[in-house]
Amino acid sequence: MRGLENAGSETPDEFLVGLFLAGDEMAFERLVVRHRQRVFRLARRLLGDESDAQDVTQETFIQVYRKLSSFRHESLFSTWLYRIATNAALMRRRAHSRRKTESLDSFEPRFDDTGTHAATAAELSIPSLLEEALDARILAERVQAAVDRLPDLYRRPFVLRDLEELDTAQVAELLGLQVATVRQRVHRARILLRGYLSSLKEVKP
Amino acid sequence: MTRDLACASGVDLLMDYLEDALPKDLRDRIESHVAACERCTAFVASYRETPRIVREATSFEMPPELEESLMVFLRGRR
Repeated sequence: MRGLENAGSETPDEFLVGLFLAGDEMAFERLVVRHRQRVFRLARRLLGDESDAQDVTQETFIQVYRKLSSFRHESLFSTWLYRIATNAALMRRRAHSRRKTESLDSFEPRFDDTGTHAATAAELSIPSLLEEALDARILAERVQAAVDRLPDLYRRPFVLRDLEELDTAQVAELLGLQVATVRQRVHRARILLRGYLSSLKEVKP
Repeated sequence: MTRDLACASGVDLLMDYLEDALPKDLRDRIESHVAACERCTAFVASYRETPRIVREATSFEMPPELEESLMVFLRGRR
């Protein structure tokens, strides 16, 4: 996310925060308008439910409004905002104590005794026409359902790193983890989702 | 596959490899293994494709009612 929202000559977030703290209410509105789509998408990806994601987006900006005076510029505004949104999504997920989802562990790669892939190259690949073969809406539902099946431990770093495209160090800062731990968890999520996507070749559109 | 590295070890190190977090000798061993192993070539390609496919499939747009409720919140603040 670094650089995307502030690309070109757009006023930096941190400058808008300063204006807001100096009494310019419109500066807060600009921050909301600038970030609302990304906060919604983050919440939607973390929660898998549109209505919950809408509530969490709203809650996030209410919290940001209340807490902005305590923003210390120790991190980027966007990192701080994403931390609030991620925590709000986590609270919402816990509150709803969702139904137990089936683990994705069966999609892990298998190896023989020598450590060689048990599957063939064709079985290991993701069908190149997957995105054309499946209706976009169906693909979105299936993929989001698979993301939903990841344990929280892997889902959050994966969504932030690979879907929201924050860099690994920013994700580590946001989640309060070591960089190596973020890498390990994102890797685990990729491994499971890769296996899931390669299994979709059996699915007829 | 080459003698010195098994597919399983390469898979374990893949994220570190892609983030350039491995020492050069290990990078070289992974690269020579993958170059000679069609299963790993397919695995690495699908591993690299996964984030993009998931990202594009879940690029959800904010619904108009959320835009409205955020505007209500912003107006209510003044």
